[in-house]
Amino acid sequence: MNLRIEATGNVTYVAPVGRLDFDAAPGFQEALERLLGGAGERSAAVIIDGTALEYVSSAGLRAFLLAARAAQRSGIAFALCALQPAVREVFELSGFSRIIPVHTDRASALAQTPPGRA
Amino acid sequence: MTTRCTAVPADAAQLTVLMRSLQEFAIAVALDASQARSFELALEEIFMNIVMHGSRPGIAPRVEVSLHRDAESVTMIVEDDGPQFDPLSLPPPDVTASLADRKVGGLGVFLVRKMMDSVSYARIAGRNQLRMSKRFDG
Repeated sequence: MNLRIEATGNVTYVAPVGRLDFDAAPGFQEALERLLGGAGERSAAVIIDGTALEYVSSAGLRAFLLAARAAQRSGIAFALCALQPAVREVFELSGFSRIIPVHTDRASALAQTPPGRA
Repeated sequence: MTTRCTAVPADAAQLTVLMRSLQEFAIAVALDASQARSFELALEEIFMNIVMHGSRPGIAPRVEVSLHRDAESVTMIVEDDGPQFDPLSLPPPDVTASLADRKVGGLGVFLVRKMMDSVSYARIAGRNQLRMSKRFDG
């Protein structure tokens, strides 16, 4: 799976392209953990833009869960936006939309995401 | 009625073969995108469960997936000749747990049950059989 990563000021947008299945999930998780933890320059907020994310299975949800925990540990705000309907359904049914904020688009994600302390 | 059947060994790399077959079936019977996605998710979750839990050392079960469409619904049947295992016996995950307490185990099967209109398990002639149906709203 390809990721488009775009840093604007102290916010980083990550746009996964394609299918987040069992095969793609480990690489996605690793990329997010690089942005959310460890050394180096960090953003105050990481926002996942789901415009081009077509599919998420439970393996993909696991990657999001671990990323959200890494963000919490690092004091980085973490949110999702612009999910396609099928992906939003997976987040709602699994209850993940209650533990990770989901916004309609980048603008509302930005407005409602208080920057973390990183 | 349209039917399609594909069999593969329970090896993660084979999921793409099953997925391709499902996608061709979805086009052939004009499933809408959202229904097709539900079946794709069910196929990944159930097949990966068999890959992870159904194999004994050196022996991968054989997995057979059949898809049917009739006037009212689409049905997917996943059968394997691995050890007896009823995925529906897994306890449901706590979907209200906090970020810190949230677990991912059992989430795949939970999603399948939510997305399908009916899911049933049977052990028949030494094979696990999981039958999943969704009404056709087209």
